[in-house]
Amino acid sequence: MRVIGVIPLIVLSLVNAVSGCKVVRNPSPEAKNAAQTDQSDEARMANYAQEIWEPKVLPAVQENLVPLLELRKILDQDIEKAGNAHGLRPEGEANLWNFAVSGTGKIIEAKTKSKAAKLQVDTDADGIADVTVQLGPIIRGTAFRDAMPFINFSDFRDQIEYAKLARAMNDLAHRGITIPEGDVVGQTVTFEGVYTLNNPTDKPEIVPVSVIYGAQ
Amino acid sequence: MQTNRRIFVSGLASVVSLASSTISFAADGKLIAILTPSHDNPFFKAEAVGAEARAKELGYETIVLVHDDDPNKQSELFDTAIARGASAIILDNAGADATVAAVQRAKDAGIPSFLIDREIKESGIAVSQIVSNNYQGAQLGAEEFVRIMGEEGNYVELVGREADTNAGIRSSGYHDIIDQYTDMVMVAQQSANWSQTEAFEKMESILQANPDIKGVICGNDTMAMGAWAALEGAGRTDVLVVGFDGSNDVRDSILAGGIKATVLQPAYRQAQVAVEQADQYIKTGSTGQKEKQLMDCVLINAENAAKLETFALVE
Repeated sequence: MRVIGVIPLIVLSLVNAVSGCKVVRNPSPEAKNAAQTDQSDEARMANYAQEIWEPKVLPAVQENLVPLLELRKILDQDIEKAGNAHGLRPEGEANLWNFAVSGTGKIIEAKTKSKAAKLQVDTDADGIADVTVQLGPIIRGTAFRDAMPFINFSDFRDQIEYAKLARAMNDLAHRGITIPEGDVVGQTVTFEGVYTLNNPTDKPEIVPVSVIYGAQ
Repeated sequence: MQTNRRIFVSGLASVVSLASSTISFAADGKLIAILTPSHDNPFFKAEAVGAEARAKELGYETIVLVHDDDPNKQSELFDTAIARGASAIILDNAGADATVAAVQRAKDAGIPSFLIDREIKESGIAVSQIVSNNYQGAQLGAEEFVRIMGEEGNYVELVGREADTNAGIRSSGYHDIIDQYTDMVMVAQQSANWSQTEAFEKMESILQANPDIKGVICGNDTMAMGAWAALEGAGRTDVLVVGFDGSNDVRDSILAGGIKATVLQPAYRQAQVAVEQADQYIKTGSTGQKEKQLMDCVLINAENAAKLETFALVE
């Protein structure tokens, strides 16, 4: 809805009267989505996530995939450098960098019975877990949504709708992987996924698109 | 309608530039108007202080105005900013729907608006809308809440003001996490309109009806403070309270063993970023950024509360 004051309308009608120009209405952008508006935000965003997941999201992850060990070396020197080379983020300095990474390591700790199932993985062989792999179903953060270069917050009505998209993408990530039965501590795990870099000293909390157990 | 607006805006442009040129000589630096809700809530005060400090550093004059979450008052303040010939408006608004018209009016008068903290329901009217990633923050708060509750028990949710998108988004983020734990049972959910006194009163009556509660999760810190005061008054300091904002009051409560956690919104920095974008827009006609921008939140609990100061973490 666009609100136009009374005075501008008068000015407008004068302009029209004088110039005699014909005003042609542009089709409103909302009209295109009219067919979808009877759906809830949740359903609409779930559909949208499903639509883009295989054709766009997974290829974007593959295209930007960087080995975690390599990324860590650049991050140690300069975050902006690492971001510019490998990072994904919505335009704007206020936004955090996201990275699509691949890695292999030893599972130090596994919380597989929790609703927020997680693996703690040691990828640099020092015996200490240095990444968290989030298995879900509860997945923390909005890394998938925020890493996608073709998803732009300005195109969404508000944060509520935008949040439902993040949730739907996290749900799809969770559905794409399996949570191991039994004890996997000590096993090797190979993963690919996305995470948001909050603080360089924080442990990356990776939302995976693939998790493979056992030696490769 | 796009076409219409372009015509009358260009028609008005000459009138506006005439008007502003008579005012602008009064101030060497240009004027930035900063509009927020009441400074009674330290969050909004931090925004105003952050914006004002950055504007002054960049050589602007400022007027700081308070709309008290009243859309009518906000509308009058927009008229004030327009009449004063402001070069930009930094706004934490009084309602996602009600604010659209006011921001449009400023735009028609040639004054760009830069929104912080709260969104409006339309794009393309404000130049920037920089908001906290409330969903991500709410997930952090909810995870911590579930963790300290031991993943089970009766709890209460105090929700913010309904007209504010942030109330809905935080509640939605909380429930996306909490509802997956079937042993977590919400026995009451009420709006306390972001207000400390209202939260105090609501908490007192909820506690009478539901003495068997284990936790309270709140949409902001002022409500958490109100709820905690009521719980303390009733001798129920065993109840686990979680807030949202990262205020110094809640920090102090966390350090004293009262409230258990909150979620820091980078309010101070957010206000500064808005001013920086306004400055760039005034100088170059573009911010170089997309309109809508999110800033991530950080969980605050006993581990890192000591590092929190005026809505920022100090290292």
